[in-house]
Amino acid sequence: MSSSTVEKVRNIGISAHIDSGKTTLTERILFYTKRIHAIHDVKGKDGVGATMDSMELEKERGITIASAATFCEWQEHEINIIDTPGHVDFTIEVERSLRVLDGAVLVLCSVGGVQSQSITVDMQMKRYKVPCIAFINKCDRSGADPSRVIAQLHSKLGHNAVAMQMPIGLETDFRGVIDLLSMKATYFEGENGEQVRSDEIPENLLAEARSKREEMIDAASLFSDELTEAILEESPIPDALIMDAIRKGTLARKLTPVFLGSAYKNKGVQPLLDAVNQYLPCPADVENTALDLDHEEALVELLPDSSLPIVALAFKLEDGTYGQLTYVRVYQGTLAKGAVIVNTRTGKKVKIGRVVRMHADQMEDIEAATAGYIAALFGIECASGDTFVSPGLNLTMTSMYVPKPVISLAIFPKDNKSQINMSKALNRFTKEDPTFRTHVDEETNETIIEGMGELHLEIYVERMKREYGTDVETGKPRVAYRETITQRAEFNYTHKKQTGGSGQYGRVAGYMEPITEGDEDFIFDNQVRGGSIPTQYIAACEKGFLQCLAKGPKMEFPVTGVKIVINDGASHAVDSSDMAFQAAARGAFREGYGRAKAVIHEPIMKVVVETPTEFQGAVMGLLNQRRGMIVGAQDEGPMTVVEAQVPLGEMFGFSTVLRSSTQGKAQFTMEFALYRQIPQSIAEKIAEDVALRKKSAA
Amino acid sequence: MLKKELILRNPLRQLGFETEDILSAGAFGAVLAHAGVGKTALLVQLALNGMLRSRNVLHVSLKDPVNKVNLWYNELFHHLAGRYEGAQVNSLLESVLPHRFIMTFRVESFSVPKLEERLNDLTEQGIFSATMMIIDGLDFDESRRSDLNDLKALAVKNGIHIWFTVRSHRHEASGVDGLPVSFSAVAGLFDLVLELQPERADVHIKMLRGSGSTPVGSPLLLDPSTMLIKDQV
Repeated sequence: MSSSTVEKVRNIGISAHIDSGKTTLTERILFYTKRIHAIHDVKGKDGVGATMDSMELEKERGITIASAATFCEWQEHEINIIDTPGHVDFTIEVERSLRVLDGAVLVLCSVGGVQSQSITVDMQMKRYKVPCIAFINKCDRSGADPSRVIAQLHSKLGHNAVAMQMPIGLETDFRGVIDLLSMKATYFEGENGEQVRSDEIPENLLAEARSKREEMIDAASLFSDELTEAILEESPIPDALIMDAIRKGTLARKLTPVFLGSAYKNKGVQPLLDAVNQYLPCPADVENTALDLDHEEALVELLPDSSLPIVALAFKLEDGTYGQLTYVRVYQGTLAKGAVIVNTRTGKKVKIGRVVRMHADQMEDIEAATAGYIAALFGIECASGDTFVSPGLNLTMTSMYVPKPVISLAIFPKDNKSQINMSKALNRFTKEDPTFRTHVDEETNETIIEGMGELHLEIYVERMKREYGTDVETGKPRVAYRETITQRAEFNYTHKKQTGGSGQYGRVAGYMEPITEGDEDFIFDNQVRGGSIPTQYIAACEKGFLQCLAKGPKMEFPVTGVKIVINDGASHAVDSSDMAFQAAARGAFREGYGRAKAVIHEPIMKVVVETPTEFQGAVMGLLNQRRGMIVGAQDEGPMTVVEAQVPLGEMFGFSTVLRSSTQGKAQFTMEFALYRQIPQSIAEKIAEDVALRKKSAA
Repeated sequence: MLKKELILRNPLRQLGFETEDILSAGAFGAVLAHAGVGKTALLVQLALNGMLRSRNVLHVSLKDPVNKVNLWYNELFHHLAGRYEGAQVNSLLESVLPHRFIMTFRVESFSVPKLEERLNDLTEQGIFSATMMIIDGLDFDESRRSDLNDLKALAVKNGIHIWFTVRSHRHEASGVDGLPVSFSAVAGLFDLVLELQPERADVHIKMLRGSGSTPVGSPLLLDPSTMLIKDQV
């Protein structure tokens, strides 16, 4: 791809709080860019559903679960859009999309403003340094107040938000927008708002528009000396100069241009598309790096040059009618039909069969995808997050941050057919979503699925039923408790079996202590001097200790945060072996653990409830009953936002209780915050549950 | 051990106040300064000191969202306990946080009856019962007199003392008592008034009204880099 074309490519995401209308916005974008020829509503009565919600389940629930990538063209620019899910339980999807995107549109509701999910999404954008522009949607709704939302962008998200437009009327009177750059009023006419009409600014809004334009130019001037000079000299300011300054500010993430509209009422979408082209970065504007595995993971800069060797990242997998579809972002080189690429993780070489460009669930075959592009490949065996490179390269894209699961559930297939399909489904889901894991419990022989929340697992169970015809029953959700120690304890254990036949002998001595710095689960420190444990058995010792971590001696939960130091031991010329030292290490672990004051930790969730103010007392009561620690309550006019830290184990069924206590008017989001020690009374109850479960399994 | 040491570092001990509460139930205290000098930081230190002594603190902010207020506490606590190891500090902070409740209002929608209603919601359900309150971001002038009277009644009724931040303006003249004229009108309601005055590289903490003893030896200073009271022991 030549540099002139890469400049006209935009890889963008549309991120927002659930229900702010991002799927509707995407639908309108596809309509105006002529990718679709009719508009369907998300919760539409026509039963078709929005085009981006390709999964049946999503259509039914009116939410977007998995990202669907699609491509469209606007004013000679090629735009790849990833529609991202809004619920926190699916943030791995949001994070993956942000990882491969160059820019994003942050959709906000003009009534709800900056909501809890917007804050989470914004934090993710910061983590991946994704520049964004904001779109304040639903300006036609009763209670719409874009200036309040802009103020919230400042106060809650710390954005230097600058209005690029001003509404002409609000709520049911919302007629169009004033472009503060061209100082023209823009109206959207025709059956679907496809005819954009430019007109003079209504007289009564002129003064306000002038003052807002001043504010906008003032903010932009920080990013352009030329613009500052023009202002000081009071000479006429060319639009291009302002646009250039705003683009600079946006790319540096120091300015967020704000646009307005109502996607549902077909207003304000086309100017937003112009803004995507104008202010969001092209692939060449963003610096991307990979890790060189041949040189101790040194950073290597990737260049959006199609003639260089290939580096591409598989960021999403989908199982379609024609086999596995792998969404890739090409960072360097050209992924062409017939080319040979290597999966860095597995080292396997594969030949590319088909390259397609996706449009929700329809596709279009292309010859090649060049640097900067997002495309999909057919028939490539890989996992999500894998890096593909040209043979000879050994690069991997920076690994994505993947949180550990906090909740698990046992699932039981009802019949043999379901058993087979369940395995297929689990195999695919675990490949698609790194936060979704599965294993078979050795003791109970149950299949356990693990994930980031109740809804996360529920959705997968439903998908199993719908997409794979698997009839499964589920057990009660279980919280991922952990064990850890609270004090240093010595051990000195001898494993000895010398009663006939070949004997076993090994002695391991040292101490264990809690890890106080960093978040490592296990540190093994060998301080044995003088060969009291021969070097060839040290690895066996470590293995022995590691074996004990999977199931803690206290309540059989995984053990974390333990540092083991071995400093002495003994061996026998004939009877010592790897096996003997592994057994000695296991014994030593049990001995030390018994004295190290082990405790149980539980996952604590950050719960944010948005409720009409009249129910805030009730909501706080609900959280308090669930052992929640309320951090604070924020008054947001008619709504109050209550933030609390609540143990995950107490959150089951919360959505039902919340609905019934607030007449269904409150909503909440929940995400993992930290692990904290559980109170003694609860620990006793858990111990009883564990004992009961073991008994029933036996 | 760490807890004890932090308690002993009561920011105002050099003004003659030891480890106990400086204000009695129903009393008002104010920290007066220009914008950005460290009013919130000083009050958060007082709050942390109270929390370490198991006093429940209700922090009412009319300017910052919950997250930002929370950040003040985290930052200052970590600065205070800077030389101790991370895990110990974190676990102590975790243990004192249940003694704090943050409530934020928009300035225009704040009213005493509303605050009282919220307070009752918390106490009646046994969620939180404060002994100390901080109100950050309230504007002070004669028009606030009736609000302040109501707050006084609320404080007396609930047995809590209230600390306020009072923003003074550079263009505003001081009265004979050294207090800004706009604040003088309501100053009678306050038992203790502290002023933060930037002088060269330091911020001096001066007592304009109150019953603590005059500082002995070196003056009480706020370190502008950490916003903490300077250690001069």
